[in-house]
Amino acid sequence: MRTAIGVFLTLVALTALATAADIHAPAEVTAGTSFSIATSGGGKATFYLVGPAAVVKRSVDLGSEILVQESEIEHAGKYTAIVCAEQCSTAHFYVRPSEGARISLLVHPSRVPVSDSEAISAVAFVSDRFHNLVLTPQTVNFLVAPKDATEMSQKVSAGNGVAWVRLTSGRKDGPVKVGATLGRTSELRVVQQVAADACNLHIKSAWEGRSFFVETDPVRDCSGNSVPDGTVVSFTKTDTTGKTTVDVPIKKGIAKVEMPVTGEAHITVASGVVTGNELSVVGRQ
Amino acid sequence: MNRAFGVTIRAMSIIVLLGTIAFFARNHIFPSASADSSLPHVELNADKIGPRSIEDRTSQVVPRDYAYAWQTLAEALASNQSDLLDGYFTGWAKENFSNLIATQKRTSVHIHYVDHGHKLTALFYAPAGDVMQLRDQAQIERQVFDGDKLIDDEPLTVDYMILMTPGADRWLVRDLEATSEVGR
Repeated sequence: MRTAIGVFLTLVALTALATAADIHAPAEVTAGTSFSIATSGGGKATFYLVGPAAVVKRSVDLGSEILVQESEIEHAGKYTAIVCAEQCSTAHFYVRPSEGARISLLVHPSRVPVSDSEAISAVAFVSDRFHNLVLTPQTVNFLVAPKDATEMSQKVSAGNGVAWVRLTSGRKDGPVKVGATLGRTSELRVVQQVAADACNLHIKSAWEGRSFFVETDPVRDCSGNSVPDGTVVSFTKTDTTGKTTVDVPIKKGIAKVEMPVTGEAHITVASGVVTGNELSVVGRQ
Repeated sequence: MNRAFGVTIRAMSIIVLLGTIAFFARNHIFPSASADSSLPHVELNADKIGPRSIEDRTSQVVPRDYAYAWQTLAEALASNQSDLLDGYFTGWAKENFSNLIATQKRTSVHIHYVDHGHKLTALFYAPAGDVMQLRDQAQIERQVFDGDKLIDDEPLTVDYMILMTPGADRWLVRDLEATSEVGR
């Protein structure tokens, strides 16, 4: 009788060893860092690791530790470890991002008028070397390097992996570099600063042979930057025949148009919302 | 008797053929997500969004497209078709889920989601309107199969940090990262 009970208990113990597969994983590990999952029981089992970007499946021996390789936990997120013998046991753990190592930078717009208040926005995303967004606070240094001017910088703390700034464009036209750095990593974008609207628009007239021409002085913005060629300047003539408007693109810095004049005439000039001086002229008989 | 048997066989063949055509059309000819009753419930709270305030239209479109994203993700994982992800995923999110599907094919393991809804909180909307960061508290039931054998089935509450960017006619999920750090 005693022998029978002993055999029975041994069988129960062996069965338990073969089927029980408790697993214990740490609550949180760092991306790209190998670690071990403890198992109990005995015999062969199948190990599954279900992560945000991959499923792993392999045979393991119960009772020994399961080594999870660095490459199997590169992606941050929630993971489920499953060990199945006759029954399955499950453990969850999180993979947190490793330290910030990369910056993605969005800068808008790519062209901006000079002296435009908070017209440039720069948004930086901080991620680790596996492209996981780093949610712990990180300090990002934004840099602005205008052409022929002193570089400026501003430190911003990234919350939830995002840092951003708004910048006012400089007074001089030309390219300006906007960058963000995190430790040794940096990203750079170039924004083209262009002249703003015309300022102090001025026209003059002249006869060239039998033709009457009206032209602007070199068209500049209020900071002295040349307004780009192609910007439209509108000349409006009012004389005895009525009112006529001619739109002329700036070419080589000035806008020029031939305007037949009959009798007394008034000529005005405008570019966008900016108006210039008025000429009073008399046409040749 | 033989004639009746032949008619039955022919009818069954036609039903099987139609079923196959319908399945093929759904999965290959029209692989994008369809608006049907399986669209998960998504709520959006944009009270704390900044620095840009959310436009009315955007506040309607973002939760709608996020729901489509989860619907297509569930379909893609269930059918091992990574091309379904093209509709509502881009960037790292698309790459990661495509990789997940590739490993599903290799291991014969597949994931089945039963979606019980999402509570989105908009956190950041870039000044230029080109990216939005959101937090999602998702209620999902995830079943893991090895072949036909169910190896894990449990309800999960998962916090996700999401980046979405506007595409031509919809918002796309660019990053979807489950985190234990949300709300810390």
